[in-house]
Amino acid sequence: MSDAQALAPATAWRRSLSAPPLLLVGSVVLYVGVAVWTGQTKMLEPSGVVGLLQRMVALGIVALGQTFAIIAGSIDLSVANMISVAAVLASYIMQGRAEMMVAAVLIVLAVSALVGAINGAIISRLRVNPFIATLGVGLILQGLLSASFTNFAGSVPPEFQLVAYSAFGVVPYSVAALFVLAAIASFILWATRFGAHLYAVGGNAEGARLAGIRTDVVTIGAHVVCSVGAGLTGLYLASRLRSGAPWVGRDGVYDLESIAVVVIGGTLLAGGRGGVWGTLAGVLLFATLDATFNMLGVSAYPKLVLRGAIVILAVAAYTFRSRGHVG
Amino acid sequence: MTVALPRSGERARAVALVRRVNLAVVVFLALYVAIGLLQPTYLEPAGAMNFLRRAAPLAILASGQLFVLVSGGFDLSVGSLVTLTVIGASMLTANDPSRTWWAIGALYGVGVLVGLINGAVVAYLRTPSIIATLGTLLSVSGVAMMWSGGSPRGYLPDNFRMFGRFVFHDVPIIKIFPIAVAVLVVVCALAQWGLHGTVFGRRVLAVGDNPRAAELAGVKVEFVRLGVFIISALSAVTAGVLLGGFGGVSVDVGLGLELQAIAACVVGGVQLMGGRGTLVGAVAGALTLTALFTLLTLLGLPQPLKETAQGLILIAAVAIGAWRRRRAV
Amino acid sequence: MVEQASALEMLNIVKTFPGVQALDDVSFDCAPGEVHALCGENGAGKSTLIKILGGVYRPDGGTIRLDGREVAFSHPVAARRAGISIIHQELSLLPHRSVAENIFLGVEPTRCGILDRRKMRVEASRLLRRLGSSVAPDSLAGDLHIAQQQIVEIAKALAIHARILVMDEPTAALDRDDAARLLDLVRRLSAERVSIVYISHRMPEIQAVADRVTVLKDGRTVLTASLAETPTSRLVRAMVGRDLSDFYPPRSTQPLGPQALAVRDGRNRRLRNISFEVRAGEIVGVAGLEGSGKSALAQALCGDEPFESGVMEIAGRVRMLRSSRAAIEAGIGRLSDDRKREGLLMQQSVRDNATLTERAFASPLRSPTSEPMSPQSTDERLAQLDVRAASFDQEVQFLSGGNQQKVIIARWLARDPEVLIFSEPTRGVDVAAKAAIYRIMRALAKNGRAILMISSDLPEIIGVSDRILVMREGALVGELPGGATEEEVMAIAVAHEREPQDFAS
Repeated sequence: MSDAQALAPATAWRRSLSAPPLLLVGSVVLYVGVAVWTGQTKMLEPSGVVGLLQRMVALGIVALGQTFAIIAGSIDLSVANMISVAAVLASYIMQGRAEMMVAAVLIVLAVSALVGAINGAIISRLRVNPFIATLGVGLILQGLLSASFTNFAGSVPPEFQLVAYSAFGVVPYSVAALFVLAAIASFILWATRFGAHLYAVGGNAEGARLAGIRTDVVTIGAHVVCSVGAGLTGLYLASRLRSGAPWVGRDGVYDLESIAVVVIGGTLLAGGRGGVWGTLAGVLLFATLDATFNMLGVSAYPKLVLRGAIVILAVAAYTFRSRGHVG
Repeated sequence: MTVALPRSGERARAVALVRRVNLAVVVFLALYVAIGLLQPTYLEPAGAMNFLRRAAPLAILASGQLFVLVSGGFDLSVGSLVTLTVIGASMLTANDPSRTWWAIGALYGVGVLVGLINGAVVAYLRTPSIIATLGTLLSVSGVAMMWSGGSPRGYLPDNFRMFGRFVFHDVPIIKIFPIAVAVLVVVCALAQWGLHGTVFGRRVLAVGDNPRAAELAGVKVEFVRLGVFIISALSAVTAGVLLGGFGGVSVDVGLGLELQAIAACVVGGVQLMGGRGTLVGAVAGALTLTALFTLLTLLGLPQPLKETAQGLILIAAVAIGAWRRRRAV
Repeated sequence: MVEQASALEMLNIVKTFPGVQALDDVSFDCAPGEVHALCGENGAGKSTLIKILGGVYRPDGGTIRLDGREVAFSHPVAARRAGISIIHQELSLLPHRSVAENIFLGVEPTRCGILDRRKMRVEASRLLRRLGSSVAPDSLAGDLHIAQQQIVEIAKALAIHARILVMDEPTAALDRDDAARLLDLVRRLSAERVSIVYISHRMPEIQAVADRVTVLKDGRTVLTASLAETPTSRLVRAMVGRDLSDFYPPRSTQPLGPQALAVRDGRNRRLRNISFEVRAGEIVGVAGLEGSGKSALAQALCGDEPFESGVMEIAGRVRMLRSSRAAIEAGIGRLSDDRKREGLLMQQSVRDNATLTERAFASPLRSPTSEPMSPQSTDERLAQLDVRAASFDQEVQFLSGGNQQKVIIARWLARDPEVLIFSEPTRGVDVAAKAAIYRIMRALAKNGRAILMISSDLPEIIGVSDRILVMREGALVGELPGGATEEEVMAIAVAHEREPQDFAS
């Protein structure tokens, strides 16, 4: 068969140009270049760099989860709504009381895990296309949330705000948490059977099933991880905003942006290949763009235009040489 | 391979016919009857026409989205293009009715441009359409905001609003005839012809089913992709023109419409990832969603819970479709 | 084979689908270390039987015994646990994962819950060595050659200690050399007392490797016999219910027409020194080992991966082909060797598939059923090719391989190209449909088309072609008259100045 031969050069080329280092270098060059060019060299001091990293946290955590869903050949459009649910739920339960913190966090994590399980079950048991299933679940969540809350609900106690506003020396807790979570996620993908099965289900679901893998369990697991990632982002946002509101997820466009950074990071949209470090590199690129736009004084709307163009160009940069058709 | 059990010819044909009727048509009729029971004016011709008028923008968007979905892609940019159309109309006309016509022309030009960009990125840069059109979604809404300075308000000139608002009275049988319904009928006829009555439509199906096979058989896959995204963008501009007449100018007229249009198609049995879909299904899906919203309003459900209901019906429709297909094979 | 307890016994299996009796009282058994061939035309019930064995379907009646113990599988996983491994024709490897990860898919070794990657690598190379292969366990499965992928599939079976291995047409996609090595491997496994159920359409293979053969037809067993005692003619008769004396149609005696296709010094990344011509009325076969460039030649001729230099003439006019479309316009039609991925629109109707090329070239705003795309003329062409379908409105995915192939041929008939390129025209097609396709090719040639047949099936090349071109290392290296012997072809196809390639290196 000619496929094997045709495939080899393409993958070799891809591997030589693997996404994470390229994005990393690109982001650093862009950031440093703009900082120097605009004379804002204080952005290069530790505080400036920490500020840059802090921009990564919210999108980063949800994108780690999204990476799992996409590797497993699925996708999750409900994360933005899940983030809102988590943020509102957390601040509503806490009502400014420190003693409710643990309960609130546990409840949020349980709810997000449940939502993930529902997503996964609809996809694997009812065989609903993941795009539609998670879109539907997202609508359900948002509807329930907006019907119950119309504004900021409750508040988080000052102790909980430490999550977003305190630091080990110069490194904020939140940034440390992002990298610890990334390390855990990377470990799961690389060193556990669940991780191996995620790639298998995403790469060839039928083959995985014939190899005796319970593909439905794997899909559900991927979505549980993804939703829990969204839940954690919601907790972080509640801490940063000091309260949760039903629009925080949608306003952040976390659903579409998390998918974009995962794909920019080199994870195959069709599933079966990818990893969390690429995703983090994609998140860094987005954070860098935000920061450099600020340094350049680009206002909000042109920023949106540029961001759209950059999403396209970043993905096109390694799709345009392929011969296969995409839909 | 399965072979059908021998049945008496009549019954077999009846069964085949029932199978071919789109599920969304049945669901829509059931919902509409329920609406009629709650609010009998909907069963009168004028009520029905008004319902169709309100359903027109979504049905038009779904007709355009249908082409992209059948070709195996997604067009997420249509909602922001609707917003851009409305805001663009207000900026271009600046309350001067004499500018309406060339403004509409210019807006269709913008639509073609957006469609071309979407199509070119997908066809030539080989970027998955879900990402490509997500990018244009961001860019197009950014352009709309920049153009209007962020907080547009007011109304479009009356002759522009006519498309969404004007109604012919004293029409025989149907009593009233809104222009929006006329636009809907024309769009549906064009889309029906385009997808089911032309060689181009079959090429769209072929590309959605197996782009590689289509290419090797001589189909210009790239042109087909450009075509479907342009069609989708034109439908978005048309929907925007109607919506501009429905209400005032704001930055969120088009918000979420792309997902509603995709949902309408899916409810109508259009297969994501391409190869299957009918115009009747897409339009019936749009009418179903509109009927659902209407029914929920009549039932006094708060606005947000309508979203919840939409999510439920979306999942149910696809789950039932998947189940029927599994049973058929 | 020595008489002893059967490793596998399937007794009086019955399976009914709505409207079809798929299996009617079929019995099948396999002793430890026995190679038992299973043959029959498409639809005879082979795949149903295998799916029952693999736990995909549950039988309506009958019993399955492993080593004398009765078993019932509720799920493919249960069958795997019982030591049954099925290698499907469609390989199920993960292209982006390593060979080791593929081999241990679903049975990954762990230490304290953590994947033991070192053990995976070591064990994988041990299994691969046992199969005589030197594939590196760290290479990506997608980068492997198809023959090597097949080995990885077999290693997967060994990793679960399969005692019963079902191979569904394992050589279908392999060239002669690799196929021969695979047969060696089957013998080696059988010597290790693995029982092998070997499904194949290829008679010489069955004779080379199997101890016994069972032939199914219409869901019943028509023959189970030791191969040593069964002449080929009896086997073929059992399979198709008649003699296939006219398996290969007679060669044409008419004088050949003018030159239809000529290539002079065609070159590209994968091809060099390609010069040949084909005349109207002629069937020219192209033989060569896997990787000899014969599939690259098909791709070059149909503009998919065109020649970068050289001259190509079609019907006397010099043409530069830059795309498939340009090739079709110039008068070339092609049957791809991968009809699923490159030929068919699986969810569209038989008619839509048969009119695809016409519709690719018609004006986009015309009616899709205007001439020559009308149902009437399409049905005529389909009937002319004897396409069997419940209805031509049926989705093409429900047709058998042979009928699907004919639907694609129908696509080209409407276009009436000067030159037709048939790549592996009978891959995965049963015996009767093969004969039909050969007859169609001959009839097309008789009507003045020039036909280039590219095939890995040497008997077919020899039986059908008027002339045989042989390729090696991207070049045309020899030409033989039709009816040459397999040895003559192989002598040219295998480079003597080059050591034979290691099967799996």
